[in-house]
Amino acid sequence: MKGFKPSAPILLLLPAFVVLAAVVLVPLLLSLYSSFTPFRLTRPETFFVLIGFRNYVSILSNPDFWYAFGRTVLLLTVALNLEMLLGLGLAMLVEKATRGQRILRTLMMFPMMFSPILVGFQFKFMFNDNIGLVNNALQSFGITQDAIPWLIESHLAFTAITIAEVWSSTSIFAILILAGLLAMPKEPIEAARVDGCTPWQTFRYVTWPFVMPFAYIAMTIRSLDVARAYDIVKIMTDGGPAGRTELLWTLVGRTAYSDARMGLANAMAYFSILLSIAFTVYFYNKLAAARAQIGAEW
Amino acid sequence: MDENASARLTRRALTVAHRVGLFLAMLLICLPGIWIVLSSLRPTVEIMAKPPVWVPQQLSFDAYIAMFSGIGKGGIPVLDYFRNSLIISVTSTVIAVAIGMAGGYAFARYRFRGKSGMFLGLMLTRTVPGIAMSLPLFFVYARLGIIDTHFGMILAYVALNIPFTIWLIDGFFRQVPKDLAEAAQIDGCTRWQAFWQVEFPLARPGIASAAIFAFLTCWNEFALASQLTRSVNSKTLPVGLLDYTAEFTIDWRGMCALAVVMIIPALTLTYIVQKHLVGGLTSGAVKG
Repeated sequence: MKGFKPSAPILLLLPAFVVLAAVVLVPLLLSLYSSFTPFRLTRPETFFVLIGFRNYVSILSNPDFWYAFGRTVLLLTVALNLEMLLGLGLAMLVEKATRGQRILRTLMMFPMMFSPILVGFQFKFMFNDNIGLVNNALQSFGITQDAIPWLIESHLAFTAITIAEVWSSTSIFAILILAGLLAMPKEPIEAARVDGCTPWQTFRYVTWPFVMPFAYIAMTIRSLDVARAYDIVKIMTDGGPAGRTELLWTLVGRTAYSDARMGLANAMAYFSILLSIAFTVYFYNKLAAARAQIGAEW
Repeated sequence: MDENASARLTRRALTVAHRVGLFLAMLLICLPGIWIVLSSLRPTVEIMAKPPVWVPQQLSFDAYIAMFSGIGKGGIPVLDYFRNSLIISVTSTVIAVAIGMAGGYAFARYRFRGKSGMFLGLMLTRTVPGIAMSLPLFFVYARLGIIDTHFGMILAYVALNIPFTIWLIDGFFRQVPKDLAEAAQIDGCTRWQAFWQVEFPLARPGIASAAIFAFLTCWNEFALASQLTRSVNSKTLPVGLLDYTAEFTIDWRGMCALAVVMIIPALTLTYIVQKHLVGGLTSGAVKG
């Protein structure tokens, strides 16, 4: 090792690696190991018993797990697409505004400041079947006389969760897409108009390709913490009624802490980690592709 | 003439439609927040009233007074929670930004092997869901005896924030032209001096916004905090919200009041930082 001198970037990155290794990597390896044991918090000695893939087998043959898995993917797909569409619409509305753009932009970011758990409580309050804002408004306007059981009936509960999730995250898309719209040069749009494009064609073939990388940045950022939805669901329904809104993450939490079956929960947690990684890598690649398309160097 | 008139009419209709659309969208965005503030000021009787009372009859700060008046008088140890939140968030933000500056500078200024792979790898550590992360952390922390301590929470939050601060700060350093630092070095600065006297001041607004973003992440985090904290020693505000829930009932008014207390710092900070934040996230997208 004579004369070994680590290069500057490695030295600079070292602290980051050390912390991440200590807090993320090592615990993850530990949990990988414990997913092969019947480890229960209440019986520490079970930590050293290896049972091979039995946890994974019992998960994979458990329909509840697959329902939770499917529901998680469904929620993410629906929510991300809605957020994207609404965010795009909102950004275009604000971009068109001639006055007060600063104020509009600030208002637009309002939901970003809410802690997900706060969003959960807020919407639990608003969707409360007895005193919630939503039912009160519906009844006052005479749309319905009944108290709609928003958080008690399974499909409605899923809808309510989706609404809360969309409310809290649309602004990330809107603000980033707006940044794209504002940064966009105006000449191509004018050229397209002179050449006789309809507004739709102008949008589809000129504006959209330019804004797309910004949309993918938003997607990447969102996919970094899709599990924010855990806080919202935990508060709003806690997986209820009867497990009908159980997501992967709430299932992991319940198995680990209520049932104290750490080994099993860790095996499940690995599926949720894989899911998150899949989402992130997918959008990250899309982002790189979109950047290449508008001729930016990586 | 007729064509002109109809074109003008369409145009005006479009303007009105745009205004209405904008107004409705903003209403939807702000309504939940306004509702929370309003509910925190109304007596519980009014919140629970059936048929609903739309126009508040009486407003008071009772909920806030009760909250701060301590345990036993309808209060929760909100000052303790607030202090914990503040200590944990500020300390971990400072550390995360220091580490993020080093990392971001490395990514923005040096070329080395496996750079993009390393960048993606860093990001991937952030994708591990909080609840999945909390299982092994809980176990490790329990062994080390740092559950329910400030140190444990700070360590976890630093790790949580590093990937994102590196991403943001990397973007801001890339916006600072390389030539400036080189010019300073030709004029006799060391690389270290060039960094502190030229590049750092130019990237400072961006670094500040990365700091605020990290702070907000800590301030709002729940999944990890709910498992790694136990008592007033280290419980943070988001976990403290649960104090207002009982098995079957929720004190909505008290909770709304605590929510307002939680949101005010976040609101102020985000307002200060909003412009730079977007710049940092997108700076890599267009210019590469």
